[in-house]
Amino acid sequence: MTETKPQVALAVRNLNFYYGQNHALHDINIDFPARKVTAMIGPSGCGKSTLLRIFNRMYDLYPGQRATGEVLFDGRNILETGLDLNILRARIGMVFQKPTPFPMSIYDNIAFGVRLHERLNKADMDARVQDVLTRVALWNEVRDRLNAPAAGLSGGQQQRLCIARSIATRPEVLLLDEPTSALDPISTARIEELLDELKEEFTIAIVTHNMQQAARCADQVAFFYMGRLIEVDTADRIFTNPRQQQTQDYITGRFG
Amino acid sequence: MTLAPARQPDKVSAPEYKEKRSSADTAFQAIVGGCSLVVLIALGGLVVLMGVGGQEAFRTFGLGFTFRDVWNPVTNDYGAWAPLFGTIVSTLIGVLIAMPLAFGTAFWLTAIAPPKIAAVVGTAVQLLAAVPSIIFGMWGFFTIVPFMARHVQPFMMHNFRHVPGISLLIHGAPFGTGLMTAGIVLAMMIAPFMTAVMRDVFGAMPGMLRESAYGLGATRWDVMWKVVVPWSRTGMIGATVLGMGRALGETMAVTFVIGNVTSVGWSLFAPRSTVASLIALQFPESPVGSLRLSSLLALGFILMLLSFASLSLARMLRKDGK
Repeated sequence: MTETKPQVALAVRNLNFYYGQNHALHDINIDFPARKVTAMIGPSGCGKSTLLRIFNRMYDLYPGQRATGEVLFDGRNILETGLDLNILRARIGMVFQKPTPFPMSIYDNIAFGVRLHERLNKADMDARVQDVLTRVALWNEVRDRLNAPAAGLSGGQQQRLCIARSIATRPEVLLLDEPTSALDPISTARIEELLDELKEEFTIAIVTHNMQQAARCADQVAFFYMGRLIEVDTADRIFTNPRQQQTQDYITGRFG
Repeated sequence: MTLAPARQPDKVSAPEYKEKRSSADTAFQAIVGGCSLVVLIALGGLVVLMGVGGQEAFRTFGLGFTFRDVWNPVTNDYGAWAPLFGTIVSTLIGVLIAMPLAFGTAFWLTAIAPPKIAAVVGTAVQLLAAVPSIIFGMWGFFTIVPFMARHVQPFMMHNFRHVPGISLLIHGAPFGTGLMTAGIVLAMMIAPFMTAVMRDVFGAMPGMLRESAYGLGATRWDVMWKVVVPWSRTGMIGATVLGMGRALGETMAVTFVIGNVTSVGWSLFAPRSTVASLIALQFPESPVGSLRLSSLLALGFILMLLSFASLSLARMLRKDGK
């Protein structure tokens, strides 16, 4: 099965992005290998999150924001007009900086996304909820209170719930926008472990400000600066022997 | 260097300075405490004034005064049911019309409208909310009343006269004044106000939460009903109750368009009266010490209880949500 899937999940070609008059991304070209973790690093405002938000067309919610170029996903340019955004967003999930549980029960938080796209009977839905909660290692903690409000969970639990919610719609790609920036070190460690397991099934693109995190979890690392992709390579290479002086300066903390 | 520590005990100005501060603190506490005391005194004073003033009415007609359907200054026979009925029904009609209107506008303004247009419409909403109610009254009198008399009621009569149930609601001569007209004018009056509050409530919702829902592939409809509404439930109830409170006590706008007949009945198009409109109209003609004046004060007392009841209802609904 897995062999027949493409080796590149997302291919970005000559991508430019504008917030109104502000040219935020310049001629980005990068491939996201399938079932690998790609970390995007760089100082604040360099365009990492902007790039992430292009992949699920989140910028479409805001007038005045536009992208040119190509992002190929499953053989199709997702920047095309007329693309069904709801399906795209089910296939490319996203997790945010802060946990964002919906104001409903733990169970319904998972079922919400699934119900948007599939009609499952009660037993199948129960199975799906249990499956994704197990995969994010939350099942044992919440199995007795699935109908309790999700807001009652701790920050780390909420973030794992949000990841579970995203994978419940069976996406191919997971976008993570600094998913651990609001969490304590222990919760962070658990999320990082989780990423290691999830990448067997999903292509993961993660934005992080934490260099160690990028080194620990990523297979590929992309360094962005001032809206340009400076360098992309394997994690080992970026952190031990980068080709660009700017990358070297950033990872050693000389600017940023 | 060695002299410096020796000098320190002489420095007695520090405690004095402290004392001044604390006396200013005490004065400030007394002033702000006094301000809040005024609130309590005012509330208590109102309840006592209305209660004591209405005592004679309650003594004459008993507690049943509230539910007696009679208001006859000629025979000096009074009961609160007719104006109370008018107040409750016109308020409910107003809130029922205003709520979807306010919700829709607020949601459109925060989630869908382009920012520039949203800014213009948002300002217009605030301006509309600031229009004095008597303006709405005159507008209702010159625009809504003739429209109801010439078009709405005849249309309803023509099409629904023979439908059981509905025929009861539209029965009567087409005066144009009545509960429906009052409800519409009230709705126009409170909707902008409710919109402004709901807009703030929606605006306070974290953008990331909204994006999370869109990020799962939800449509605007899903996001609205399953995320925005549950999240802002408390605030929306608050907005509705504030609007309801305004509608309950609204006097001038309603007096212009309700027709001022103290009767109770099914028809939404027949002239009725409300507590506030009746008090406003009859207060000047009621001599001090008369049973009529006492009955009007008793009406005021009941209206106050009604507002308190709606407020506590809102509190209860809010607790349910948590």
